[in-house]
This record gives sequence, structure tokens and C-alpha cells, in this order.
Amino acid sequence: MDIDDILREVDPTFHAVPQEKRNLQELTRAWIAERSAPELLPWPADGLFERVNDSIKRQIEKVEEMTGDMDPKTNFALIVIQTELERFKYLVRSYVRARISKIDRHTLHYLSTDALRARLSEMELAYATRHQALLHNHYLSSFLSSFPSALQNLNDSAGINMVETPDLESAVFIRLLKDTLVEGRGVDSDGAMDGRESDIVILRWADAKTLVENGSAELV
Amino acid sequence: MALPLPLGLTHSEVAFVAEMELVTVVPRQRLESIDLLSGKTPPLRPPHRADLPLWLALLLKKQRRANIVPPPWLYPASLADIVHRETKVHPHAFSEPMPTASRARQSQPGYAGRIGGGDSSEVILSPPFRSNCTSAAPAGYLPYHWLEVAEALITHASDDLGGNTSEIRGLLRDLVEVRAAKMRDSAETLGAEGQGGVVSLRGVGAMELAENRGFVLGVVDGVRKIGGAVETARREKEEEMDLGGGDGGRGGYGGDGDSDDDMGI
Repeated sequence: MDIDDILREVDPTFHAVPQEKRNLQELTRAWIAERSAPELLPWPADGLFERVNDSIKRQIEKVEEMTGDMDPKTNFALIVIQTELERFKYLVRSYVRARISKIDRHTLHYLSTDALRARLSEMELAYATRHQALLHNHYLSSFLSSFPSALQNLNDSAGINMVETPDLESAVFIRLLKDTLVEGRGVDSDGAMDGRESDIVILRWADAKTLVENGSAELV
Repeated sequence: MALPLPLGLTHSEVAFVAEMELVTVVPRQRLESIDLLSGKTPPLRPPHRADLPLWLALLLKKQRRANIVPPPWLYPASLADIVHRETKVHPHAFSEPMPTASRARQSQPGYAGRIGGGDSSEVILSPPFRSNCTSAAPAGYLPYHWLEVAEALITHASDDLGGNTSEIRGLLRDLVEVRAAKMRDSAETLGAEGQGGVVSLRGVGAMELAENRGFVLGVVDGVRKIGGAVETARREKEEEMDLGGGDGGRGGYGGDGDSDDDMGI
């Protein structure tokens, strides 16, 4: 640590959050949002997960190196590093699993249009397509093949649409990050509220979506 | 493989998030900076205070390598003040959330702006990354993760709380009860007329949300489903009234187009 670092630490106007810390913040926020939103959210486009995965890999290598020397002083540091590593791995795992459960529930919906497909990561897209093909082949070989060919599709949209979609009108909790106008639709009337920063608001996801997407609010 | 949990964070997940809150510790041993995934920890030099995430502070505490400085809002005086405000001053609202820290603006000398006030492209921090539980946090406000942090400190660092754990525990219990009653009362406004589908629960805590999420969202969604036909009819009527076409037609609930009863208006 040199004098610049010390000055930076006590300078209130210097507040840049280091990249590592920002990774954790973005990961946490992405995870909470995915756990709360009724539909699948877009896969982070800025390479957040690639960054996090790389750093987890590097950290694992470091742990492997450190386990070699048995110095009791580094031993405690090792415990701390491993504890934190587990916390990161839990976040990533839970995030991915939350997404898979949404993809599993509405596979055909998320594969139906290009805009929806763009929300999936490459791996998720491969998983969803192959899983769906396997499933359909299995249905075909076990019972669908004995139906007339016009009835063998799983995405028939004549009449009532067979493809189930997530309920975008279900209610969510959001926290406002800025003072902003919150508009919502209700049963008896539509309303608007002058939201203040750190308000926790209940409203329908379809109404909250724009606020969340433009960064005025986050899901909690 | 796929996560079997319902939508919304569960209690244990909320507790996990709360462990990311920064708390202030007084180290009892030297500890060099550790290169963690979330950045380097500050080097610990007794008796200099340092801010660490709660999970690490608890680990150090268990190994007797550090003492935790309780956040100012956890002192009995501050808690009693909040209880008074929650019961007497604002008996129908949660107390105000912790204010956002302000800072002098570099671009306009003499002016102050809230951190994350939107005057630049900086990241807006939200709990648990706001330093709401360090010794520098203001007293008299409850942070978003108040219950989880207080519980963790009482359980694992009761000797750092100045020997009045039972008093703090009693005050926290009062707070939990008075706020739980408010949460239950809020159900009345949830489905009420004139709310327009937006209900604010300013000042609510993370654990209280997790506890009541199923109930509150169930009420809101239930009211919506019961009133689905009414709402569709109302939207159609509004659309007829302003033919310019606002956003009236957005609610698509398999509208059956039956608006006979609106014709009298």
C-alpha cells in the first residue's frame, strides 16, 4: 500500500467500487431478481457470469496451491477463502437452477420466438432444445404416434393455445432505486404513485417490468 | 437439477443475503489482507477498526480473533425510540428506512447529493451493500436486514452488546410484533378500491417480506383473478370512452367481449 492508496481510502469524493465487489453486487442482484420474477429474465449480456466463473476457477487453483503448505498462519486465510468460495458457488448454482426450473416449466414458450430465445444463454438454449426434442420423441414413441398426425404437435395454437406461458400479471415486490412515478393497473381502477427512493412497492410484474429494466427499481 | 423452491427468497436465502452486510470489527489479532473473490479484505491491525462482511466477522468472532462493534441502531435507546415511533407516532406505517448517505458533489462545489442520486452513471447501491450495519450507520432507523443482523449479533456476539442482551431482545420482540400487526393490516388496503394496483410498504424489512410474501402476493393475485371479468369490462368501457386508445387494452385475460352491462353509461 503506498501513499496514493491511503489517500484514496480517506477521500470521500473517490468512490469507485472495485470490479470484484461490483461482480458480487451484480451477481447478488441478478440472483434475487431471477428468484422473484415470474418469468425468465435475460441472461446478463455484459459477461458477468464468464467473469465470475473465471475468478472462481482461479480461486480454486489458489486453494489447491495453498493446501500444500501447512503453515498455521495461512491456514486461517485458507478457511476464509474457502468459505467465501462456497458462498459464491452457491449464488451461481442457485441462479442457474432457478433459471432451469423456469425453462423446464415453459420450454416451448421460451423457444417460440427469437426475442424470447435471446434471453437464454447458449448453454441453456442447447439444453432447452435438446430436452424438448427428447421429450417429444419419447411422447411420440409411447403414445402420440397412435394419434392422427394432425394431433401429434405439442404447440397447437388453434383454439386454446397449448403452449403454457408464465403469468406476467402476478404481483411482485420491488424496491425503488430512484424517485420515480410508479404506475400500476388494479381491478377497480388504475393508479399512479409518486414513488420515493427505497420505497418497497407491490404491483403487477407487467407494470414493474419497465421500471426494473431501466434501472429505476429492483426486485426484492 | 432445477430449483424446487417457490418464487421469492426463502428465509434461509434472506439470511444468506444479510450475511453480506458490512459490520465493524475491532480485531484482537493481526491478520494480513486476504485476497477474496469480492476484493481484498482490509488488513487487520489491533486496535484499528475495520469493516468486514457479517459472515467473516462472525467467523473471526467465533475464533476470538475480533470483537464486533454493534451498529448504533441496535442500542437499546435507539430501539426504544423506534418502538415509540412505531406504536405512538405512526401507528399505521413502518418507520422510515435508513436514509441514503449524501456526499459533496464534485461537479457543483457547495452542493450535496445523495449517493446514487442519478447525477452520474455510477452504480446505485442497495442493501446489503450500503454499510447500513457498520458503526457509522445512523441511529434511530432500521436497515432493510435489521432482524437478521440483530439476531446474528445476539446469538453469536452477545458479549459485544454491552451486557444488555435481554433488554435488546425484548425491544426487538416488541418491534417484530408491532410490525407484524401492521403487515397483517396492510392486507386490507391490498385489495381495496382506489389503490390502483400500487401499494407501498415503505420501511418494511427483508425477513418480514419473506414471511408474508406468500400471503400478500396470494391476496393480490387472488383479488385480481376474482375481479378479472370486472377489470376486463372496465378496460373495454374505458377504451370505448376515449377512442384515441390509451393503454386501456393491455390487460389480456381472454376477454370475452361481453360488455352488455356497460351500455347504459
